[in-house]
This record gives sequence, C-alpha cells and structure tokens, in this order.
Amino acid sequence: MLASMKAPFDSTLPFAVRTRGVGKGFGEGESRTEVLKEVDFSARLGELLMLVGPSGCGKTTLLSVIAGTLGADRGEVEVFGAPLHRLDKAAVTAFRAAHIGFIFQQYNLIPTLTCVENVSVPLRIQGHAAGPAERRAAAMLEQVGLGRRGHARPGTLSGGQQQRVAIARALVHEPRLIICDEPTAALDSENGAKVMDLLRGFAARPDRCVIIVTHDNRIFKYADRMTHMEDGRIDRTECAAASARRAEPAALVA
Amino acid sequence: MLDLSLKMLLGDRAKYIMLISGLTFASLLMTEQAAIFCGIMQWSGSTLDNVGAPVWVVDPMVEQINDTEAMRDTDLERVRSVEGVAWAAPFYQGMLRARMPDGSFKFVQLIGLDATTFAGAPREIVQGRLEDLRLPNTVILDEYGAKKLSRDPARPVRVGDTFEINDREARVVGICRSRMSFTGNPYVFSTYHQAVQYAPATRKVMSSVLVGGGEGADAAALARRITAATGLSAYTKSEFLWRTVWWYIRNTGIPVAFGATVMIGFVVGLAISSQTFYAFILENLRNLGAMKAMGAPDGMLARMIMLQTLTVGLIGYGCGVGLASLFGAVVLRKGMPPFFLPWQLPLITLAAVLFICWLAASLGIRKIRSLEPAIVFRG
Ligand SMILES: Nc1ncnc2c1ncn2[C@@H]1O[C@H](COP(=O)(O)OP(=O)(O)O)[C@@H](O)[C@H]1O
Ligand SMILES: [Mg+2]
Repeated sequence: MLASMKAPFDSTLPFAVRTRGVGKGFGEGESRTEVLKEVDFSARLGELLMLVGPSGCGKTTLLSVIAGTLGADRGEVEVFGAPLHRLDKAAVTAFRAAHIGFIFQQYNLIPTLTCVENVSVPLRIQGHAAGPAERRAAAMLEQVGLGRRGHARPGTLSGGQQQRVAIARALVHEPRLIICDEPTAALDSENGAKVMDLLRGFAARPDRCVIIVTHDNRIFKYADRMTHMEDGRIDRTECAAASARRAEPAALVA
Repeated sequence: MLDLSLKMLLGDRAKYIMLISGLTFASLLMTEQAAIFCGIMQWSGSTLDNVGAPVWVVDPMVEQINDTEAMRDTDLERVRSVEGVAWAAPFYQGMLRARMPDGSFKFVQLIGLDATTFAGAPREIVQGRLEDLRLPNTVILDEYGAKKLSRDPARPVRVGDTFEINDREARVVGICRSRMSFTGNPYVFSTYHQAVQYAPATRKVMSSVLVGGGEGADAAALARRITAATGLSAYTKSEFLWRTVWWYIRNTGIPVAFGATVMIGFVVGLAISSQTFYAFILENLRNLGAMKAMGAPDGMLARMIMLQTLTVGLIGYGCGVGLASLFGAVVLRKGMPPFFLPWQLPLITLAAVLFICWLAASLGIRKIRSLEPAIVFRG
C-alpha cells in the first residue's frame, strides 16, 4: 500500500539537505560540551528519512541546525542548494518561512487560537490575508480528517488530533522540507500510526523531503532510510523497511 | 498577523481581564491621587476664586493669598492714581471667631468688600440679596458655613438667622456658593466697613486692594505698572494663585505626602502592569518561539507584542480615568475630599501608561529577540 505512494529510494535523487563538517557546542570553558562533531549528513528529495540514536546524542541539535533555528559553530549546511551557513539571520528566517514545515513533539499549537487560525499561521507569516489563508487552512484540516473541528480550540482535542492539526499547519504552505522532532513520542500506538500514515501519505512526495527524529521503534517501518547518530556523529545510514519492501536493497550510504 | 495577536490576547479571558485591571488600577490611582493633590492646591487659592478681581495689590511682605499683612489706607489712593486703573477697592480678609446662639465657637473666613462697587462679590447667591449687605450688621454666608454653623444638621442656617462675630451681631441676609477654603473654615462676606468693625481694633486693617483695569485691559501689564509706581506687590489672579500654590509646595508637607502617594500610585501601577504583561509574554514565549521557528521575523513578533500592550494599555487607561472622573463627580458633590482634574492630568496619566506599555513591550521584545527558536524543539 505504501509502496504505491512513493518511488523507491534512489541514490541519484537530488539532495534536499546536506551538511559537511558541522560542529556545535554549548557552554564556555570547563563546562563546554561538543554536541555535534564533524557531522556529514544528507537527505534527498522524495524520501522520508528517520534520524535515530540514543537520547542526548545530538539529534535535536542537528535538526535545529538544519532548520536554521540554531547556528552551527563550523561546517556547511545546504538546504535545496541554499548555503544557510553563509546567509544572514533575516535571510535564514525568510527561507524557513518559505520552505520548511515543522512538527514538534509538544505540538506547540497556540491555545487561544482556533485550529483553523493555528493552521493558517505559516501562511499569515508569509503575508497572506486572513480570509484566503483560513480557507486554505480549513481545506488542509479536511485532509487530515479534522474538517469539522476547525473552530475548536486545540485544548479541546485529543493529543493525536492536536498532532494532526500540527501536521496540517506544517504542510499548509507547501514547504519542500518537513522537519519533525519526536512527532509520536507523546502518542499511543494507534494515534502514532495515524500520524505516521498522514506523514507518509501527504508529506512524502517526490518534490519533498521529510526528516523525522525519533526513537520510537514502532514507527521505524515508515522510513525509507534510517540515519543512526551516536555521540554527536553520524554512525551509519541504511535503507529501511519501507523502501526495502519495494526496492532492491541499495548500498549503505554514508 | 496583527489580528491573530489580538485573538491571542483576548483568547485568555482571565489573563486579559487581569491585565486590564492592573492598568485600570494604575491609571485610577495616579489620576485620583494627583487630582486630590490638585484639589488641595486649588483650595489653597480658594479666596482668589471666591473673590473675583483681575489684579490684587498687597504688601510686599505678603507671600501668598492666605497670608495677610495690613496695608495703609493711603495705599488705596496711591493705587487709584496709577495710570490704567479703572477701579480700586479696599479688601479685608481675616480669620475670626464666630459665636453660635448655643454659645459654641467656630472660626470663619471673614471677607470685607467695598460697599459701593461690591467688587469681588460672590458670584452665586442662592438665597437673599447682595444689596442687603449695606444694612448694618449683616453678612452673607456660604452654603458650607450654613451647614457648619448650624446646630441641627437637618436645618442649615437661613436668611434671617443671627450669630455673633467678635461679640457683634451678624444677621444673615444671604447664602452664597463658594469654594471651600484651605483651612476648612466657612466664608462669611460683609462690606469692608462692616468687616473692619468685626475685626479686632488695630491701626491698619486693609488686607489688599482689588483692582480692575476696565474693558479689555491687560491685567499683567497693569499689575507691573502698579508695582513700579507704588512699590506694592501687584499680581494678576493667576499669578497670585501660582504664587500661592508654589508657596504651599515649598513650605508645607502636602506635596511630599501627596507626591508620595502619586508616586506610589505610579510605582504600584508600573509594577503590577509590567509584571502581568511580562508574565503574559513569558507564557506566550513558547508560542512566539514556535512562530519564530516557523519563520516569523522579529519585527513581526515585536509589532504583535506592541499591539497587545497598547490595546490593554489604552483600555485600562480609559477605564482608570473614567473611574477617577466618576470618583471625582461623587466627591465634588459631597465637597470632600478636594478634587480637581485639570485637563493636563489625564494626559500625564496617558503618558505614564504609555511608558508602562513601552517598558513591558520592550522587555518582551528583548526577550523575543534573544529567544533561540530552537527551544521549541525541547520538551
Ligand atoms: N541550548 C543548549 N545548551 C546547553 N546544552 C544543550 C543545549 N541544547 C542541547 N544541549 C545538550 O546537547 C546534548 C544533545 O542534545 P539533543 O540534541 O537534544 O539530543 P537528542 O535530541 O539526541 O536527545 C545534550 O547533552 C543536551 O544537554
Ligand atoms: Mg531530542
């Protein structure tokens, strides 16, 4: 079923994200710790890539660097060919608004806004007027199966429903890179599966790239590739269940 | 985006009401305390309001209106001879003891007016006739005195009642409206000659000379000419009022005491509202951080915060000044405590409220600028 939605993993696909020698540390002097050590990471258009590894190994930090919400200390970060490490803050912010969709573990919906208003936020940030933005947001909510809850406040929804609202918000402005940090960690397996089905079905398209940080092994089966991180370094990348099922096993990509 | 920022603000009804209340309280406290202060200061110059004269001429030793230093009778003629003086009338004021029919004593502020011109006579007579003051041993009492000098609160003093001033009969021929005096003593009007008879015998009795310059005359220029020609001090009404107000500010504890409450109003208001604002912004930091992560530039978030603070600030200001005016309307009817709300006061409060808003907003904006949008990835 999944195989039909997506082309098999292909190592000739163009890069969506590529980092070279990225380093990032926190703190000063004695207490300084290097969280990312020479990270060479890549993700390609059209794939759903999972970034896995033990807690504290630097997954979230790497994701923040890729998203441009955190500057790297050294190294290069390219997203769709744009060198984020060389752009100024305002340019990175504008780039983020146009090209990246976010899904957080804590949903981060604004409790005082309705679901439609929440979903419309990325469009509003890009300068769309309220009316058209909310119409598109309502259509997006329809697609994640929450068309009737558009005027509810997020607080009145279940965790699974809230994460589906967050998915609608991440996709409403048609970004090409979708970044998810532990999207199912707070959900039971049924809701987790629903969320992943949505991500697999809507987000993963040939012109998009989805990167999911997780250590929820219940969802590993949705990945095209899994990149393993360990202690601030990329350990290995392998083709995973989803692509293995539909394609000939590709060589390990470092 | 700005409409969303208002929805974010209004969405949390409890927090919103708390913010508004904080600013309402702050504006109310500042406006009301300052208005009471202005009221007291206005009381200090009540005589200037109750006795309408364009120019007041007094002994150079006199520092303010409630201060009396008797003048020579010849000073009146010297003032009259100054060019541009249309009329000049002798004026007496003094604090005298009045004895009620039941034998109790009360202090009154006795005013003696020139009987031919009645220059400076009370403007609003509510009972009786001003002209009856020309009859011997007669006075006009203000409404406050009519209540205060009566034994029975249900029956204020009326026209026809009598009491004594310095053992001399004083028959009430009128009741007038006047502004309360600083000392809280009622105003009692009589003719100058009558007042001199009530006053304890001294060689000199004239307190001041009231002067008018005729139609369209420049009071300030006239006052300067009188001073130059006679060596006496001459002030316009407003000069004398400000001199009086400043004298009280310099020489009494009132400004310190009231300045302190106005300051407390300001500081408490500032603390409460910037505190609530800041808490509101901190609470919203996660939301604003998520927006920042999603690509909202700092400027956009700053404008959202400014709109939120301004909205709350202006609504709170409106409620606060409205309540202060309501308070004023009630106390003005009762006459206590003193209350005077000059138009400048709401503007000063507005400036203070805007300052509070600016402070809270810039604290929040600073916080947003330094916010790592990456925090939203953290649990
Ligand atoms: N802003 C920060 N300041 C200091 N230390 C940080 C900061 N962010 C992350 N760290 C540290 O970096 C390490 C990796 O964190 P993180 O990237 O969140 O790991 P993961 O997502 O893999 O669990 C942790 O030890 C964490 O304490
Ligand atoms: Mg993490």
